[in-house]
Amino acid sequence: MTEETVLREDQQEIELEPVGAVKAEGQSVRVTRRTFLSGLGATGLMVTAPLAASASATTANGAAAATAGKTHVVLKVNGEEHDLGMLDSRATLLDTLRERLYLTGTKKGCDHGQCGACTVHVDGRRVNSCLTLAAMAAGKDVTTIEGLGIPTRMHPMQAAFVEHDAYQCGYCTSGQIMSAVALMKEPIGESDGEIKEAMAGNICRCGAYPNILAAVKQVRGQMKNS
Amino acid sequence: MTVSTTGTAPETMTGATAEAAGAAASQHGIIGRPVARIDGPLKTTGTAEYAGDFHLPWMAFAVPVQATVGKGTIRSLDVTAAEAVPGVLAVLHRGNMERLYRAVPNDPNATVSETRPAFEDDRIYYWGQYVALVVAESLEQATAAAAVVKAEYAAETPEVSRELEPFAGKWNTVSTRGTVDAAFAAAAVKVDQTYGTPAETHNPIELHATVAVWDGDRVTFYESTQGVVNHRNAMAQILGVPRENVTVVTKFLGSGFGGKLFPWPHCALAAVASRKLQRPVKLVVTRTMMFSNVGHRPVTEQRFRIGASADGKLVALRQDALNHTSLVDSFDEGCGEATGYLYSVPNLTVASALVGRNVGSPMAMRGPGAVPGLFAMESAMDELAVALKMDPVELRLKNDATVDESNGRKFSSRHLRECLETGSAKFGWKQRTPQVGSMRRDGKVLGWGMAAASWGAYRFACATTVDLNADGKARVRCATQDVGTGLYTIFAQVLAEKTGLPFERIEVLLGDSSMPEGPLSGGSWSTATVLPAVAEAADGAIASLLSIAASTPGTPLAGADAKTLRMTEGRVHRATESAGLPSAGVPFEAVLQAARLNGVSADGRSGSVFEDPKARDLSMHSFGAQFAEVEWEPEIARLRVSRVVTVIDAGRIINPRAGANQIRGAVVMGVGMALLEETVYDRRNGQPINGNLADYLMATSADAPEIDVTFLDYPDFALNSYGARGIGEIGLAGVAPAIASAVYHATGVRVRKLPIRIEDLMQA
Ligand code: FES
Ligand code: FES
Repeated sequence: MTEETVLREDQQEIELEPVGAVKAEGQSVRVTRRTFLSGLGATGLMVTAPLAASASATTANGAAAATAGKTHVVLKVNGEEHDLGMLDSRATLLDTLRERLYLTGTKKGCDHGQCGACTVHVDGRRVNSCLTLAAMAAGKDVTTIEGLGIPTRMHPMQAAFVEHDAYQCGYCTSGQIMSAVALMKEPIGESDGEIKEAMAGNICRCGAYPNILAAVKQVRGQMKNS
Repeated sequence: MTVSTTGTAPETMTGATAEAAGAAASQHGIIGRPVARIDGPLKTTGTAEYAGDFHLPWMAFAVPVQATVGKGTIRSLDVTAAEAVPGVLAVLHRGNMERLYRAVPNDPNATVSETRPAFEDDRIYYWGQYVALVVAESLEQATAAAAVVKAEYAAETPEVSRELEPFAGKWNTVSTRGTVDAAFAAAAVKVDQTYGTPAETHNPIELHATVAVWDGDRVTFYESTQGVVNHRNAMAQILGVPRENVTVVTKFLGSGFGGKLFPWPHCALAAVASRKLQRPVKLVVTRTMMFSNVGHRPVTEQRFRIGASADGKLVALRQDALNHTSLVDSFDEGCGEATGYLYSVPNLTVASALVGRNVGSPMAMRGPGAVPGLFAMESAMDELAVALKMDPVELRLKNDATVDESNGRKFSSRHLRECLETGSAKFGWKQRTPQVGSMRRDGKVLGWGMAAASWGAYRFACATTVDLNADGKARVRCATQDVGTGLYTIFAQVLAEKTGLPFERIEVLLGDSSMPEGPLSGGSWSTATVLPAVAEAADGAIASLLSIAASTPGTPLAGADAKTLRMTEGRVHRATESAGLPSAGVPFEAVLQAARLNGVSADGRSGSVFEDPKARDLSMHSFGAQFAEVEWEPEIARLRVSRVVTVIDAGRIINPRAGANQIRGAVVMGVGMALLEETVYDRRNGQPINGNLADYLMATSADAPEIDVTFLDYPDFALNSYGARGIGEIGLAGVAPAIASAVYHATGVRVRKLPIRIEDLMQA
């Protein structure tokens, strides 16, 4: 996506602040500005912008060679390496987890970064896996809900969600829990209001928010005391 | 007993419930206890399987192509570019797809949401209508190919306007008594206003998904449906195969709120593609499609005329309700659901009519009819209270009905008065000063408002089977489904109560149409419907077990009269032995093993209330009261709902923990309904312009107020022996008008058209 991009009538340009650095071997390339397109342009964003990023990630790995439309991708998910072979470059991390690795605990609610159902951890930080191309996650540590705990050995956050009935249908729940766990390391403040704001990217249509808040608070309290 | 919960605190219990929880070792008294739901560990670890999670070997992916005009005719469809995309297996459309039949009209057991099957003709009735289906090896390929299908249309300007008046068509009288117009004309105090509710989209977070797979002439659907049995029946008719050849599986549902009650056109498309390719096909609709192709709560416009005597007694009530519908279906929202029976008024008329629009077919959304109807009626009641200079709670109490005046029937159980009084006390309503903008806290203007709520109570036919097995487990099977709120656990509670077994030894199998036929998950009737059937099946299986115990040589109970035997805490023993002692009798599985049986089974049934002589002459409803507080900061035009007190009279609550959760969730949805939600259609092409979750706003955690839920405990035994009614919709009823009235109290602006927007309040 370049400066010359011609906007259609129903599109607008939004400039965002620097979003971080893409690390290449031996150097740090600062991503200074990204231009996003709204409306249908968002599709353009999904296909083109991350491709550029994945190209640099691939170079960074120095391993995979991108062929037309396909990229060799090795993903490390929940501590395990998966060689996905030549993967469709358009494949999002979300679809790759669900449809190729059969890790269906991560859910799709919108595919547009608007609901949080697809939240996973990449190198310990929460990301929307629907807005992340699989190739962008190559060489990083991906953690999904399955990697957090299993029914007989639950992560404290999972146990707290059960204890507080912090879900109804359960469809947003993986994303809520992944967000809540990542939150523990984020500097968000102490109050209920701050937790609620920090969790506001995870929509629960069943409205289990009061119980979700109770579960998150309990685990935060435990962590402080331990 | 009252189970009361506040805000984020875990459930607090009083009376019998607390005692029961203390006696955790015993399953006695488990009905009504706030137990943790049994599916929690699956749902919190990503192991619960929803329709779109199923993966079958050699599965292909289908992506529909949507019309980009809201009205017109398809002139041409060019699929060559799509077919050339690597990995594409088929592009189906009207020109090449095998025929789909319509489901039989008005078959209550095979209802569909949209009568017209996909691709039936070349007409476009609404934006987003499916015009083709791409199937490919991968989702990426199918998505890319769908984007290059080229359709040309003879486009016309669609009619999608939210304004439904002026309306010149035919009205239906829904309910009438007395002479309403004359009484209204003569009334001392009157309100005559029109209220509007917008198109709202159900938007469960789970996208509708179908995985279809054929095995010879048999097809299995892994489906996101609120009715596996209905879905099976409808699919059989649409695909033209015997019912026995269709199986529908819904293990977990990412909620539906009505949108997933009946099949939509994409379900059959997945099956047809699968039949053609002889491969499993997965079709997950996109969030964009969720706004146009799988239903919505229709726009309503309701004129209310209420007349009262000077001292606040209602004398006339007239509701004229319009709702929009699609051009392929006549969907009646039924805005008069609550009007006829909520208050005592001698002269009343409810009339309704439909207005066609170029939108996808509407579908029942949580509390259909009652929720938009009560927004209008309870807003009008608040305006009447202002006109009368009367307290709005007082006005409701004064007009409380003692019989259902729409049909003269007695109420099976009605405690609206206590809901209002309890809510008023818990909220602190007495401290309210009625003048607009007269209450403040921390520099913010406070607004307090309230509304009454109601929702019908029903029971439908249901069959279940209970097995007691030699492996020491009890199992119950039923072809219904857990919409997401706790039905699995309700089944387990009944079985635990009957057998005394702990949850670890109870299996609940739901969501498979080949099991005994259970109800649709809708209308808040699941709990009331399944309870008697499970109880009867469990009793039958236990009776069979006891007679085997009495007649099987080699057990300590051989030779006993079966009537003197009991099953307690998983053991079979003589009634004279004290229950629960490890020494009493034998484990039930030992009886089965001695008799060399794998297990015993029994069926249980419940019938519909409409065929029940004890119930059909009664008027059965749940009631509630909603009290809401808003904070208004005029300097920065910030409005927040800060507090809601909800009191619910819904019979006996089987699981107060899950129940309170469900009510709180409904209140959160009510906040969204009041302040945020509206699907806006583009007048140029009929597209829902805010058809995504960033632009269609739903309440987030940051919007959720402090919520205090109280259940009154009046079992309604007319409905079933447990006295349970069901709570799926009642929590949403009355929330929006309570908030709108609170907004008026804070700002002096009466918003009669939802959602309440900041722009509306700028005049304050
Ligand atoms: S699916 Fe990724 S945010 Fe909604
Ligand atoms: S639990 Fe259903 S969407 Fe959150």
